[in-house]
Amino acid sequence: MNVQFKKGVLELCVLVLLEKQDRYGYELVQNISDQIDISEGSVYPLLRRLTKEGYFTTYLKESTEGPPRKYYALTADGRTYLYALLEEWKVFSNGVNQIIKEGVQND
Amino acid sequence: MTKEQFLSKLRTSLRKLPANEIEDIIQDFEEHFSIGFENGKTEEEISASLGNPQQIAKELVAAHHVEQVESTTTTSNILRAVWAVIGLGFFNLIIVLGPFLVLASLVLAGWIVSVAFTLALIPYLINVLIHPSIFDFYELFFAIGLSGAGLFIGIGMVYATRGFTHGLIRYLNYNIRVVKGGLKHG
Repeated sequence: MNVQFKKGVLELCVLVLLEKQDRYGYELVQNISDQIDISEGSVYPLLRRLTKEGYFTTYLKESTEGPPRKYYALTADGRTYLYALLEEWKVFSNGVNQIIKEGVQND
Repeated sequence: MTKEQFLSKLRTSLRKLPANEIEDIIQDFEEHFSIGFENGKTEEEISASLGNPQQIAKELVAAHHVEQVESTTTTSNILRAVWAVIGLGFFNLIIVLGPFLVLASLVLAGWIVSVAFTLALIPYLINVLIHPSIFDFYELFFAIGLSGAGLFIGIGMVYATRGFTHGLIRYLNYNIRVVKGGLKHG
């Protein structure tokens, strides 16, 4: 999907991934890039921005395999923001799907 | 690209940020590389999927400048932020620079009109002092009226400028958030 507006979706993906559990940066990046073709490095600026805006908090946790990892946790504000974005996304994608469906039928 | 090359390119492109912020960012990528190694990936593979360090740095720098404007609004801060957001990609040149120039010109024009109207009284009075024979009540009241109108326009411009700055910050934030990023070949 070669669109200008992929970044907005990336933000939603990160928020959704953090909804059920805290995760570290690499984990978030892998989960997204398994599904969508992205420049993995662009997830980090996003994480920093959302942290500064108060949607995430971070903490370091020891790892069994190597140096401690920085975990991201959703704050109450982040959760509210996630649900708002999710709602917008549903309305948007339902609209697009509807248009595609009608378009395909008319062909 | 090796890990060292990737990090040093990133560091060079970030040099305008505060030192502690740079260290924090580098730390995040060090962590990314070391977990990648644990998962059996090579330096080249990891840096290839991370993407262009210069583009990553641009996003970080743009976000930093917009954040600066939000905390202290000065003209140079605003220009730096606009410039950094434009630098994110060619697309932004059109959708950021165009509206910015148009609106900034309108704000500037408004201020010039306000100042010119308000000060119109002064040359008029000087003129009357030099040539008392040309004094005329109609002209005096006209000049006073113009001054008053200038002051009102000035008050309006204070609000307009505030609104413009506020709107600009939101628009820049929206740009950083949505436009052009995470693209592999962008």
